[in-house]
Amino acid sequence: MTGSTPSGVTRREFITRGGATLGGLALAPALLSSGSAFATAQTDGPGGKVNVLNWPLYIDKKSKKDFTKTTGVALKYNEGINDNNEFFAKYQEELSQDRSIGFDIVMPTSWMAQRLIELGYVQKLPLGDIPNAANLSPTFQNPLWDPTGEYSLPWQTGMTGIAYNIKETGRELTSINDLFDKKFKGKIGVLSEMRDTMGLMALSEGIDPGTIDFAQAKPAFKKLEKASDSGQIRRFTGNDYQDDLVAGNFAACIGWSGDVAQLLIENDKLRFVIPDEGGMKWADTMLWVTPSDKSAPVAAWMNYFYDPAVAARVATYVQYISPVAGIQAELAELDPAAAESPLIFPDEEVQARLHTFGTLDSKQEEQFDNRFAEIAGA
Amino acid sequence: MAGTAQQGGRRRRFAPYGLLSPGVIWLILFFLVPLGYLLRTSLSTRPNRFVPNDLDFAWEWSNYSDAISQFGEQIQRSFVYAGITTVLAIAIGFPLAYVIAFRGGKYKNLLLGLVVVPFFTTYLIRTIAWKTILADSGIVVDVLRTIGVLGENGRLLATPAGVIGGLTYNFLPFMILPIYVSLEKIDPDLVAAAKDLYSTPGRAFRKVVFPFAIPGVIAGSLLTFIPACGDFVNSVFLGSPRTTMIGNVVQNQFLVQLDYPTAAALGFILMVIITIAVLLYARVLGTEDLTG
Repeated sequence: MTGSTPSGVTRREFITRGGATLGGLALAPALLSSGSAFATAQTDGPGGKVNVLNWPLYIDKKSKKDFTKTTGVALKYNEGINDNNEFFAKYQEELSQDRSIGFDIVMPTSWMAQRLIELGYVQKLPLGDIPNAANLSPTFQNPLWDPTGEYSLPWQTGMTGIAYNIKETGRELTSINDLFDKKFKGKIGVLSEMRDTMGLMALSEGIDPGTIDFAQAKPAFKKLEKASDSGQIRRFTGNDYQDDLVAGNFAACIGWSGDVAQLLIENDKLRFVIPDEGGMKWADTMLWVTPSDKSAPVAAWMNYFYDPAVAARVATYVQYISPVAGIQAELAELDPAAAESPLIFPDEEVQARLHTFGTLDSKQEEQFDNRFAEIAGA
Repeated sequence: MAGTAQQGGRRRRFAPYGLLSPGVIWLILFFLVPLGYLLRTSLSTRPNRFVPNDLDFAWEWSNYSDAISQFGEQIQRSFVYAGITTVLAIAIGFPLAYVIAFRGGKYKNLLLGLVVVPFFTTYLIRTIAWKTILADSGIVVDVLRTIGVLGENGRLLATPAGVIGGLTYNFLPFMILPIYVSLEKIDPDLVAAAKDLYSTPGRAFRKVVFPFAIPGVIAGSLLTFIPACGDFVNSVFLGSPRTTMIGNVVQNQFLVQLDYPTAAALGFILMVIITIAVLLYARVLGTEDLTG
């Protein structure tokens, strides 16, 4: 057959070009990852290896490297937790069948930790090998979510309050009801984290979130629903409220103390306040999941980060309230501004206004989640 | 000669099935079997909230009626948004495809490339970029406020307009390319012939160009409407609690409420409604042209 084929490509050209494309596609991921592979590949250290799953922006680079140097334990660190519910939905199947999820330590928020402990997905910590656990601040000993204190150690704790952009509000905000000020219509954000948002709603209605049940919460839900339907509330956000706050899309929103502290460094128009009616305090806790058998590496990780010097170093980066007692002195040397920050060391008066959301049984939690989802539109 | 024709005949009879089998096996394994599981899940009950995989199959048809009564508003809203998106995409995409096909000349490939290039960025990033573009303090909202389209304190984010805008933008190439393909096949001599026969340009368009373009419009509409119905990304970033679509509901049911039966039931309801809508649409516009 003389002359070109109708498409203009001969069989030889087709095979050559196809082969080159396939070869390129096959090699590309390997080439892309080899650059970073040298940096992150760690074979097991002399002390073994620990796999940690955490929230984003919750640790500084120096501590990660120094951990391996000091303890001899290799580290695989993943910032895969973005939301407690998504975390649970992602891993619950393997955990319920006692299969490894690829991580030894996970750090969900306390109420999710409680759920995991009650479902039996968590092992008792090797506290005998964690002498620094004695540095745990008294406020967090034998907490609501882990009464015996044997299953968890807090990683970082923080406060939920009102974050606002003073350029948009034009005034200082002091009360939860400021969120319902008609002047800010359509410029208010609330968190999709039910316990944080409903905790503040309950406090604004004079209900104690520590002992709340669904019947008591109805007026608080009604208040939130009215605000959402009328367009007062613009969006239910996850951690992404920060962009809207900085851009001025939100005049005020419910937010977390450490995030605002980090933003404050760059942007002096932002403020964070624990309202007069009160705010929420929460903890993200370290758990040792089944069926991991890495007792020594897990103990090494927890012991290392409960050293006050290390805890102070982490605090300068994350700007949250450390559960380790006695870091203020260390912090004064590292970062004097942080040592004075009321967001990292709230005074007694503010601490007295902080509440923890009460424990909900499975049925109550379902009612709360359903009602909340209904208001959030989903 | 006769012998080989006989042998060739038997092989030829099975050849089509042989060629089809990889595709059919793929469909069965990765579409029909999971669909069967989904159907089974949608008819189950869930005794323990925190072990959502532990389901009891119980012919629970109430899952469907409960889902419709609880989320009827979001289902309706999804179809309205997807419908408006499709109409807008045709309104914007058709003129663009027409210009590229008939007036593109040597720039045809470049123009098509420009249409496709934004798709090299992921869907999520494009939507988040729109969040910045439509920001309250951004230039788009400023201009619209000045010329009076938006009120004094009007905004585009957290409104249905924002969500529909995002949907239209994201699905526009799916509309432009099929329409372009069907317009490109038109022989320009046909239009010239119509003009020779004393037709006005408008009539020539209606009688000559448009019938050829219909298969492209149908294909583009299907590619736009069906994914837009199930979209959840645009509503999360550009919308508000009052613009949630059925995709957001399914995500919430699956990840937060851990209610797999309801999520599965919603999936099936969506599939059935879309299938009916598409069949009606094809019937109205005529399917013979789809293959022609």
